[in-house]
Amino acid sequence: MRMGGGSGRPTGARGAAAGRDGKAGPRKKFFVRRRKVCKFCAEKIEYIDWKDIKMLQGFIPERGKILPRRISGTCALHQRKLQTAIKRARSIALLPYATD
Amino acid sequence: MRLYDIVVLVTPDLNDEDATKVAAEYKKILTDGGATVVKEEPWGRRRLSFPILRKREAYYHYWQVESAPAAVAEAERRMGLSDQVLRHLAVRVDEDLKRSAKMAERLRLKAIKRPPRPMPAVPPADGAAPAAPERSES
Repeated sequence: MRMGGGSGRPTGARGAAAGRDGKAGPRKKFFVRRRKVCKFCAEKIEYIDWKDIKMLQGFIPERGKILPRRISGTCALHQRKLQTAIKRARSIALLPYATD
Repeated sequence: MRLYDIVVLVTPDLNDEDATKVAAEYKKILTDGGATVVKEEPWGRRRLSFPILRKREAYYHYWQVESAPAAVAEAERRMGLSDQVLRHLAVRVDEDLKRSAKMAERLRLKAIKRPPRPMPAVPPADGAAPAAPERSES
């Protein structure tokens, strides 16, 4: 017990130091970028329903703007359809134009 | 005849019955113009995403209607004049639905045709797996 406790402290300190060195040294730019896939192409949805608010809400961030293609990964064709669907839903107050 | 999705928002100042009555008036305009109601869904009293004329709620009424364009135009015109209708929206959907049905059909046929394929498709995948180590050895 005593031995374990005694040896535990220094190794812990050493370990932390090594960790610091590791971070400061060879910084690996290593993060896997997940390939974005158009949700509608993947699920083979052709008609984007403007009445399906739950689905549309996934493309509306907090501010109420339309999520850009570069973030959602939606393909051009479906982004265009999504855009009209969101705008229609907005016009009858199903979705907000803007929120703070 | 074309298919339309129509949504009407009726003032929350009325009670449930009166709101449906108001909505029914417009439905009558459509049916008098030769339209047939395909689907009818009262979505009930819903919160609006933003206030319209200082109202925070409205009665939503949705119909899918097969109608001539003139009847829809007339109904929309009257909705616009009414004070009890906060908002209205009519969208022609037949072409989009037809297109999506066609796509679904094509996919279904593809799926039916496909099953024999996976059998020959598997061996090349198996062949490719051993091939890779061989290359690394050489």
